[in-house]
Amino acid sequence: MQPHIKRAFTLLAIAIIVFIVIRSLVVPDSFGQYGWYRGDSVVDNRNFPVEYAGSASCGEENCHKTLYSIWEDSRHKTVNCETCHGPSEKHVSNVRIMPQPANESRDFCGLCHFRQTARPEDFSQIDPETHGQNLRCAYCHNPHKPWFV
Amino acid sequence: MNGDLTMSISRREFTRIGCRVIIGAAAGTAIIESIVKNSLASEDKKGEYDWNEHYWGFVVDTTKCIGCGRCANACKLENHVPFDEHLYRTWVERYRVLKKEEVKIDSPNGGIDGFTNDIPKEDIKKAFYVPKLCNHCDHPPCVQVCPVGATYLTEDGVVLIDYDYCIGCRYCIQGCPYGARYFLAEETPHHKPHSVLGGGVADKCTWCYHRITKGLLPACVQACPAGARIFGDLKDPDSAVNKILDKERINVLKPDLGTRPKAYYIGLDREVR
Repeated sequence: MQPHIKRAFTLLAIAIIVFIVIRSLVVPDSFGQYGWYRGDSVVDNRNFPVEYAGSASCGEENCHKTLYSIWEDSRHKTVNCETCHGPSEKHVSNVRIMPQPANESRDFCGLCHFRQTARPEDFSQIDPETHGQNLRCAYCHNPHKPWFV
Repeated sequence: MNGDLTMSISRREFTRIGCRVIIGAAAGTAIIESIVKNSLASEDKKGEYDWNEHYWGFVVDTTKCIGCGRCANACKLENHVPFDEHLYRTWVERYRVLKKEEVKIDSPNGGIDGFTNDIPKEDIKKAFYVPKLCNHCDHPPCVQVCPVGATYLTEDGVVLIDYDYCIGCRYCIQGCPYGARYFLAEETPHHKPHSVLGGGVADKCTWCYHRITKGLLPACVQACPAGARIFGDLKDPDSAVNKILDKERINVLKPDLGTRPKAYYIGLDREVR
């Protein structure tokens, strides 16, 4: 074989080996396991911490059973516990960790119940100017079992 | 040619040996790779969640949305999105079509703090809320443009981000026609600043992948007091989503782009972009 061809082949071989070595070092192990991405990333995404436990876990184990059964039959049954009381997964797994106290302000109830033009008309709404004399809503209404006075 | 230094080999023989070496190397790597991949796949099936059994879908009923913003609030708390920045995985837009043929669209703080009646009712022809989130397209433009494979469509139909692999180039944020992606510079429990580049990563709604793979509902669906958000399995004919898709008249956002979104809308107005 002519020496210049031999040299070219040697260089090509070295280049291919270097490419394979660098690629095996740089590309993560699970890359290409399912597609053009790192397969382990799916597991990472699955393992993020859960913050919202769900209303069912409040009524379990006799913890808040009475309140739960009242809420269950009320018009507020579509509003889950944690929508007002905040994420409570940590509290469910350890009762000593208390969730944030529920926001009892008038404006918080107003997020749903102050009259808005864009809101569906059949949804229960009040005019904050004329209704309730700036009292806290819970002064008259039980948030766990709302009624009309 | 000097016979002492080189093997005397004919051109035909050289080609024959060369071909054998190349074919052998290619076949060898292919066989080894297929063995490794099969063992990985069989290992994965041992987990209780099988992503081949599900294909997730989302329905937004705009006729039920009351614009309370509890979805956007719950989303930030569940996914540790910073509250002090204008970053939203989901948000509520308010559309107001005025009598003088003008459309006002706003979403103050994603709707988390509520909306103000700054236009008198007499001037408004119609008004409604439209919750927005990542559409988890079947043809996602964001995945196409990622240069490193850090975002992808899973087998169960969710577009996810690899927070450890994202280089923060922001191309996907530009590529998303729905504005569903944002740039996250802060460190959160979901990601640490990139070890090499030090910067932030792209982030967006994952339909709470960490929840739905455990059999829970996404945080926004659970938080919605009006039942405007419905989540379910498109592969299950009795799922909440399929019941609506079979019955209601639905639409998707920007269908002309061919992205094939899996977030379906009931009561979508022509003004909604």
